[in-house]
Amino acid sequence: MSKELIERVSNYLNNNVQIELISQGAEAVVFITHSHPYLPNASDDKEQYIIKYRPAKKYRHPAIDKALTKHRTLSESRILAKLSQIDGINVPKLIACDVYNGCIWLEFLGVDLPNQCGFSNLKNFLWMSVADPYSQLVEDVLIKVGRQIGLLQWNDYCHGDLTTSNIVLVPENGTWSAFLIDFGLGSSSNLVEDKAVDLYVLERAIISTHSSFADKYNQWIMQGFSQIYELHGKSGLKKLKEITRRFEDVRLRGRKRSMIG
Amino acid sequence: MTETMIPQFPDYSIYAGLYVEVANSKELHSVVSNLPFAFIEADTICSREQLFSAVYKALIESSFNKQRTKTLNSECILSLSPTSNIGEAFKRFGISEKTSRIVVLSIVAKTEKAILEAKELIHGVGVDLTDEALESGYDLGLIKKVCSRCTQLFERLKKANLLLTTSRYIELQIGGQIPSTFCGRIIKNISECHSAARSVTRR
Repeated sequence: MSKELIERVSNYLNNNVQIELISQGAEAVVFITHSHPYLPNASDDKEQYIIKYRPAKKYRHPAIDKALTKHRTLSESRILAKLSQIDGINVPKLIACDVYNGCIWLEFLGVDLPNQCGFSNLKNFLWMSVADPYSQLVEDVLIKVGRQIGLLQWNDYCHGDLTTSNIVLVPENGTWSAFLIDFGLGSSSNLVEDKAVDLYVLERAIISTHSSFADKYNQWIMQGFSQIYELHGKSGLKKLKEITRRFEDVRLRGRKRSMIG
Repeated sequence: MTETMIPQFPDYSIYAGLYVEVANSKELHSVVSNLPFAFIEADTICSREQLFSAVYKALIESSFNKQRTKTLNSECILSLSPTSNIGEAFKRFGISEKTSRIVVLSIVAKTEKAILEAKELIHGVGVDLTDEALESGYDLGLIKKVCSRCTQLFERLKKANLLLTTSRYIELQIGGQIPSTFCGRIIKNISECHSAARSVTRR
């Protein structure tokens, strides 16, 4: 992580906001902070907020870079904002967004798992449960995850990068509820293809990280997914059938339908 | 009025206060454009989060993009509004002649001297601007009315199977009035959306 980048972020945030790096991807860096962007008296050590920052890329023309950063930041925030209005969908709350600098402030979600198992995303949770992989708790969690994905797709949104680390579990009344994070590649789409690809990507993620138990895990996720569609009667079942059929096609040929790009 | 600051913009002081039982709103309404304050209808504000997110947005817009209204204070009123129409924002969130509860807001650069005469201008009772004070008086019906156009439109567009990206676009173009005859069509691309929005406005 280059010093220059940290300096640029600190400069933009004006040193009043103390940040700590937690993750870096190809497009954005994610920080954690204790200060609220605008609410007075809300900044204390207990509260945590996420800052997702898209740094300018030097290899792009500045004008193009600006337009791309703005477009991507805006589309991510817009999706988050729309999703949080839908009943039942769990996504982090959008607190603030500065599209001109590519900066989004989000609610912090998740906890640290016991016994040094790491942050409470689905991946670490499944690793933690490896001693008793088919427990009722794991089943419940995976069905809930499936329901979240079902709700997302029933409302014609696609996540675009569904992996086990992009699903965060939050403790709630003695059990866990699933939250979807990182909508950087999200889109609003009613194409069966996009939905099937979303499911396929998650299935592959589970197969590659938890291969011994993947069959059961995927079955539970699909069970939760189907539950949402079954709530909507005939038209729901029809759509579900379309998606599962396409899902099987995608499984045979892979994620890319066209060989371009 | 209490003074606060936004961590990212230490060069600005923000003064905010709530006045209830205001008696001279008619008078205030007539001079509001010349005063260094934003007078906001308190019935439309339900929490400090709503208010300060608008302050934050106004500062972001004026620092990194461009300010669309004359002062930072009026920019805050525009930022409260779900649409980008300035006149409409003032009408919905600004004070009217009948207003009795007013949120007063003032953003002052630290280099300038703060002018704090709101107390003398407003014939009312100053209260602490807390979430409880705002919660006790806001008018949910009114907030729904001023903010619902977007959500209503969103629902209708969803029913009509229009893509969301286009919905935001039409929303900006025509300010939320989509006739029912138009809802059956599916718009595929942005240029089609553009022409559709135009044809709707013409009607």
